[in-house]
Amino acid sequence: MSERLEMQIDGADLDKDDPVLEVSGLKKSFGGLVATDDASLQVERATITGMIGPNGAGKSTLFNLISGFYEADEGSVTVNGTEVTGKEPHEIAREGLVRTFQTPRKLEGMTVREAMMVGPQHQTGESVLPLWLSPSSVAEEERRNLERAEELLELFEIDHLATEMATEVSGGQLKLIEMARAILSEPDVLLLDEPVAGVNPTLAKNLAGFIRELNEERDLTFLIIEHDMGFIMELADPIIVLDQGRVLMEADPETVRNDQRVIDAYLGGAE
Amino acid sequence: MSAAATLPVVGALNSTERNVLIGLAVFFGLLFVSMLAGVIQPRYLFFLLSLAGMYVLLTMGLNVQWGYAGLINFSVAAFWGIGAYCAALVTASNSPLGLELHPVFGLVAAVVVSALVAVLIGIPTLRLREDYLAIATLGLAEVVRLLILNEEQWTNGSAGVSGIPRLFEGLPFDSVIRNFYVVLGLIVVVYLFLRRVHQSPWGRVLRTIRADEDLAEALGKDTYAFKMQAFVLGSVIMAAAGVFYVHLNLYLGPDDLEPIQTFYVWIAVILGGTGSNRGAMIGGLTVVAILEGTRFLNTAVIPAGVDVAPLRLLFVGLLIILVIRYREEGLLPPQHELVAGGVADEKGGGPDE
Repeated sequence: MSERLEMQIDGADLDKDDPVLEVSGLKKSFGGLVATDDASLQVERATITGMIGPNGAGKSTLFNLISGFYEADEGSVTVNGTEVTGKEPHEIAREGLVRTFQTPRKLEGMTVREAMMVGPQHQTGESVLPLWLSPSSVAEEERRNLERAEELLELFEIDHLATEMATEVSGGQLKLIEMARAILSEPDVLLLDEPVAGVNPTLAKNLAGFIRELNEERDLTFLIIEHDMGFIMELADPIIVLDQGRVLMEADPETVRNDQRVIDAYLGGAE
Repeated sequence: MSAAATLPVVGALNSTERNVLIGLAVFFGLLFVSMLAGVIQPRYLFFLLSLAGMYVLLTMGLNVQWGYAGLINFSVAAFWGIGAYCAALVTASNSPLGLELHPVFGLVAAVVVSALVAVLIGIPTLRLREDYLAIATLGLAEVVRLLILNEEQWTNGSAGVSGIPRLFEGLPFDSVIRNFYVVLGLIVVVYLFLRRVHQSPWGRVLRTIRADEDLAEALGKDTYAFKMQAFVLGSVIMAAAGVFYVHLNLYLGPDDLEPIQTFYVWIAVILGGTGSNRGAMIGGLTVVAILEGTRFLNTAVIPAGVDVAPLRLLFVGLLIILVIRYREEGLLPPQHELVAGGVADEKGGGPDE
């Protein structure tokens, strides 16, 4: 992997032992339905943390709360030591927490390569004035970003799609693009919402490889929601289990797999 | 509009561009022949071309809002009217304000006031779903029109404002020619500006917001700020079109702010190709050609006793149906690869539609 692609953890003075993401006492109800009930968890730096739970356990709600798309009724979220509770999603992304969506988002009218270029944060050319005052630095940055985008497409083995329209690639490929784009934004922690749902087994296997590679080589932290047990149990450690909006347990895959409470939760017999 | 014909011709043309260019050549050829044949007076032709130029500006303004960022603005006529009234009231001899300033001050006032109104409307609505902006602007359009109609002490009310000075009075050309060059110059400047910003990372974020606002937010883009910038920029361009109009028409009344004007501009954006700067030019031109061209059908083509002018809206409607049926993306859809500084082109580029 080229040096250009290497990640820097923002704020090198941060204690590496501090959790990159800390959630404490999050609560969220929709009308009478309590979707997230006093959820607390920590995601340690440079881990691949899995999040599982039966349908309706509140996994996606928790993701939306953490990333700022929902406003929590109670509780707090801390990213890289900075409290981000109640902040806008883009502010949280700038703190280093970037997410993908369960249903991959299609960018109409854009090529894959162009859709990738939205990824990098703080682009000079995203303000109107520098376009006129320092066009050369904007062009230079564009060239750099394009190069990085193409390297990532290559790493994900989808570089042949670069000039395809983003609306015309398959759902599985779109998931890869979405993840590659999120990585371009240089997050410290990446939240993936069901990255292999609807992805064919070969591609899913590749994806697991990419995640592991990014985690090992760049210390990138992942928090992954996934229903595919084979995929998540092999990839992630620890695993956080959610049930009825609460954190049921957090442990290594082996322990989780054999825990009676987890089995009950999945079989719908938690009571 | 010759600007539309010459500006976008950069590099090789694809078939769509060739067809549009041929269409334009035929259209301007016909205009020229009609002028020679005496069907249309040269002075009137230039007046119409200037009017078309104004529509092109309006269309480019709305394209920034709807085409780039997906903002639904139903108060095109209001922002145009704010620009027009600012210019008229600041410069006209019978303006109740009695200032009679140079047209430059009218332009400055128009830019400032329209930007301010855009910000005030944007603050409460741009954080919400897009439909709220649509509703708010629908209201704004009526509020502005009724204010102008009723606040006679400031606006002359239904009597309107006359005694508006012509542009560049000292120059040796005829005023219709001057107006034509002024609007041509405005179009060139606005087009070049918009082309640059549209291809830039700024434009890319706007296109992302249009496609999926949540995604843009998740990637750390302050979508509210971007939408506000697009909304203000588009509104200021509309106001500039209004400023030009009053110095072209030399009279302005509240009737000019009828809501139908807004929808003509929407039609122009959709016809031309949503999100395309060049398409906006073609769309604006086409709508004026239909609206004004139907007048000439009476004298030139249709036998006496049949009046087709009232059917103009029908023609516009028919054209929309045809375009949507056969050319979903409009006459000249946006280019498909827009990476700043032509970086992508150097690397082989994508389909350059």
